[in-house]
Amino acid sequence: MPGIDECLLEAMALPGARGAALVDWSSGLALGTAGDSPVGDHETTAAETAELARAAAEYESFAQAGPEAAPGAGADRAQPVEDVIVTTRSGYHVLRFVETSFDSSVFLHLWLDRTEGNLALARLRLRALAEGLVLR
Amino acid sequence: MTALATAAVSPLLTRLAAERATGALLRDRGTLFLEDGRIVHAESPATPGLDVLLTTGGGLAPERWREAVDRAGARRQVARFLVDSGGLAGGELEICHLAAIFDAAFFALSPGSGPSRFRRGATHWIGSVRSVPAAAVERETRRRRELLDAVWPYPQLDTSPVVPRAAAPGQTVTARQRALLAHADGLRTPADLAWVLGRPAFHTLLDVRRLAAAGLVETPLAPVRAVRAATTLPDWMTDTQSPDVALLRRLRDALEASL
Repeated sequence: MPGIDECLLEAMALPGARGAALVDWSSGLALGTAGDSPVGDHETTAAETAELARAAAEYESFAQAGPEAAPGAGADRAQPVEDVIVTTRSGYHVLRFVETSFDSSVFLHLWLDRTEGNLALARLRLRALAEGLVLR
Repeated sequence: MTALATAAVSPLLTRLAAERATGALLRDRGTLFLEDGRIVHAESPATPGLDVLLTTGGGLAPERWREAVDRAGARRQVARFLVDSGGLAGGELEICHLAAIFDAAFFALSPGSGPSRFRRGATHWIGSVRSVPAAAVERETRRRRELLDAVWPYPQLDTSPVVPRAAAPGQTVTARQRALLAHADGLRTPADLAWVLGRPAFHTLLDVRRLAAAGLVETPLAPVRAVRAATTLPDWMTDTQSPDVALLRRLRDALEASL
């Protein structure tokens, strides 16, 4: 049963990882951080990535439920958006939503170096880490 | 930054953190629990507690919460019991507990929260989960105040009943907003809605400000100035005289220091 710190440390072990954070997208609060922030301040990065995550999580155009989303237990809470990826000239940012058993609004943010990072690997690993956070 | 923005939210908290104190900091609108100067728990009558956040929506059965409090409350290890008994994932507990700390601290450290008392050595039965530096909680509390006003500077929304307005043609209402609006019956305040939805109270205040800014919730009119004028002021004080903030601050600090 890994906690927030273990989860962020594991994210930082990915090739090219430069910074990681667990952020609440509703308030913009960083619940935990590791490594560096692109602007030198994790709190600013958390507030900014939270705005992006909130738009993705809330806009109707992204809210179509998947075919496997069965009606009934938990389906109304199921987060339709899995992740948001931003590619910049020097890096990748992967925002992975975390689904909890209670009402929450958190995501993992991983900042990767463009040359050293492996986006496909990072995406898969972040999914596993997000699931590990809520694994009983 | 102005002197006002950098001023400590609570000088007593800053001092307790510096001396690595352990105990409970009691204020009118909430209590902060410290261990070695770090904040390990917080609760406020203005916010839904960990129990409400975890059990509303069925994530954790209320019986499991009660069982944990009954069996591990006396040992002050409720949090560990919940995780060890499989009721909750370790990461989930940390996420929810941190949300509850920052939520309660926002209200406990609000300007109108009155004087502080410190009960040295007091601990909370929830037990140890994660701790946060006092400075981080103060900084976040200040950021949250500024965020609310940056979204829509109408503080009266925080305490008034939430009155929904019809969406404009083509206007998007998000799923979380719909859930909130569905419970806004014109009587419930943002705090009431936080309890019903099992969401942190600050998140509900913020959502209501965002909804009001989007025109989906009525913005109450500012209280009429006449109410203030009706109270008689001492002769030496005129209506236009602003309170001496620095003096009030020194008075408060002196009062807190003497407690």
